[in-house]
Amino acid sequence: MALEVKQPLSTSIAPQTRINRPRVRIGDLVTYAALLVLALFFLFPLAWMMLSSFKPGQQIASAPLYFDVSTFSLQNYEDMLANVPLWVGFKNTFIVILLKGGITLFFAPLAAYAFAKMRFRGRDLLFNILLATLMLPPIVMLIPLLLQMGALKWIDTFQALVLPGAIGAFYIFLMRQQIADIPDELMEAARIDGCNSFQTYWQIVIPIVRPALAALAILVFLDIYNDFVWPTLAIHSIDMQTLQVMLSYLYTQINNASVGTAGANAWGQVMAASSLATLPLLIVFIVLQRQFIKGIMAGALKG
Amino acid sequence: MSLKPTNATASGPIDRLRLWLGGSYAPYLYIAPFFIVFLAFGFYPLAYAFQLSFTSWRGAGIPEFIGLENYTFLLQNDFFWNSIFNSAVLWVLIVPVQTLMAIFIASMLSRPLWFRSFFRVTFLIPYLVPLVAIAQVWLILFDSDFGAINTLLGAIGIEPIGWLTTGAWAKPTMALLVFWKNSGFAILIMLAAIQNIPLDVYEAAALDGANGFQKFFRITVPLLRRSISFYVIIATLGVLQMYAEPYVLTEGGPYNSTMTAGYALYRYTQNLDLGTGAANSFLLMIIVVILSAVMLKMMSGNDED
Repeated sequence: MALEVKQPLSTSIAPQTRINRPRVRIGDLVTYAALLVLALFFLFPLAWMMLSSFKPGQQIASAPLYFDVSTFSLQNYEDMLANVPLWVGFKNTFIVILLKGGITLFFAPLAAYAFAKMRFRGRDLLFNILLATLMLPPIVMLIPLLLQMGALKWIDTFQALVLPGAIGAFYIFLMRQQIADIPDELMEAARIDGCNSFQTYWQIVIPIVRPALAALAILVFLDIYNDFVWPTLAIHSIDMQTLQVMLSYLYTQINNASVGTAGANAWGQVMAASSLATLPLLIVFIVLQRQFIKGIMAGALKG
Repeated sequence: MSLKPTNATASGPIDRLRLWLGGSYAPYLYIAPFFIVFLAFGFYPLAYAFQLSFTSWRGAGIPEFIGLENYTFLLQNDFFWNSIFNSAVLWVLIVPVQTLMAIFIASMLSRPLWFRSFFRVTFLIPYLVPLVAIAQVWLILFDSDFGAINTLLGAIGIEPIGWLTTGAWAKPTMALLVFWKNSGFAILIMLAAIQNIPLDVYEAAALDGANGFQKFFRITVPLLRRSISFYVIIATLGVLQMYAEPYVLTEGGPYNSTMTAGYALYRYTQNLDLGTGAANSFLLMIIVVILSAVMLKMMSGNDED
């Protein structure tokens, strides 16, 4: 359905032929002003978060817009780590990314290959079923899935975090588009050389779609790292909780434990935790910008 | 489907089955993991929820069959309609502004500019930031007593505003968070589409004496129609299913003013009113499917003229 929309997967962010040399005109000043205001709006909360995380606790509430670098310290980070086991959250999220991401990255392209390049009875019907599952709003499954986890005694386990939603239909759909573009002659040549279907996949298909795989990996990483809704339901014990949910605990914990300014004085800890949780994504983004933008664009198709 | 048998001889029934399937079991093996996971953790819970939606069940004992009572209850229930209404208001606050802004900014960014890549990267960063992390920042920036925003407003003599604690302001404050977080994504989609518009279209318009304003409304916007509809569809589905934002920012309050259609489902799991919750899920699913179908219909209609 929403999938018939074709968006270019390769986002040509690279400047095209129209670029020669920027000239500054009066009209451009308006453009620059608008872009600058918007950039400030986007950067301000983040900059404020990171700067505040180094500030003495009581200053965040009493002087929220005043920053004195000479008073900066890592005190908030130390206090925060004493309060919530944030590293455990990192570890749990990391394990889920390895397991769920690994399963997804192995099986989704393989299924995509079967749908794109192999002939078998019922292929089109099965693929249409796969597409139809994309229409189901994920939120509808939450309650029954939670009950199912309860019945399986999977609450507070990694299975609960890893298996539901692994090998998402959307990822298969995405890779199928990419693999379908590979010329059939290459497959045929491999078959004549005596490759079976898996060898053809492994030796011919995978190397060709490697850039698309990298974008897929980023997309899967983002989806799992930022997943929040499902862990809040499936995980109750803090030792099993993922990073995102642990972040949300911290604020509640601080606000419930103390009233008035006392709570506000601990805000530095919240900003420290939020900064730490944001940092890995910023680093990956800066290092892998191109794949990141591709991955996000690919994710845009997810209707 | 033309099937090419790879093994020429077909003697036993097993071989005949394989031939009938297309010559190999391998493709079934390749696609099996997806279908197994989907049957176990997609189809089964869905079927179970469907059954549950016709019962009254509070998490213990045997569900009692009550027919359509959950559905008729919900359709006459203020809490249900309020959640739909809240999502509709949030849609109005978020989607039109965000879409228009994205087209404007993307068309600015598609021209040669100094610092163009700086702006592009900056605009995309919020989209990567974990929602929970930025929601904490929002809670603190918009705190009514000690928040930076009220401090700033206080400096120019404006009384403190209860951004997240009054019914009137909670929705706009939440909408601003969504706007902050997702605009870069909207801009990226529009930018990719604008860069696909052939340059000679603009050159021809320039020869005909079109100014920048005319080019924008006569060329850019019409040619972006597909991407615009596409973005509006994803954004609409996103707003309807919005769950994490109210969970972290307001827990649906104050006075249920940010109880969205998606977050309302969570309330039923808390109250262990699971039959009604399942019925609410299906009502929401019906709304989502109808809305997507209508929007897709409008979109393909657009393509024909």
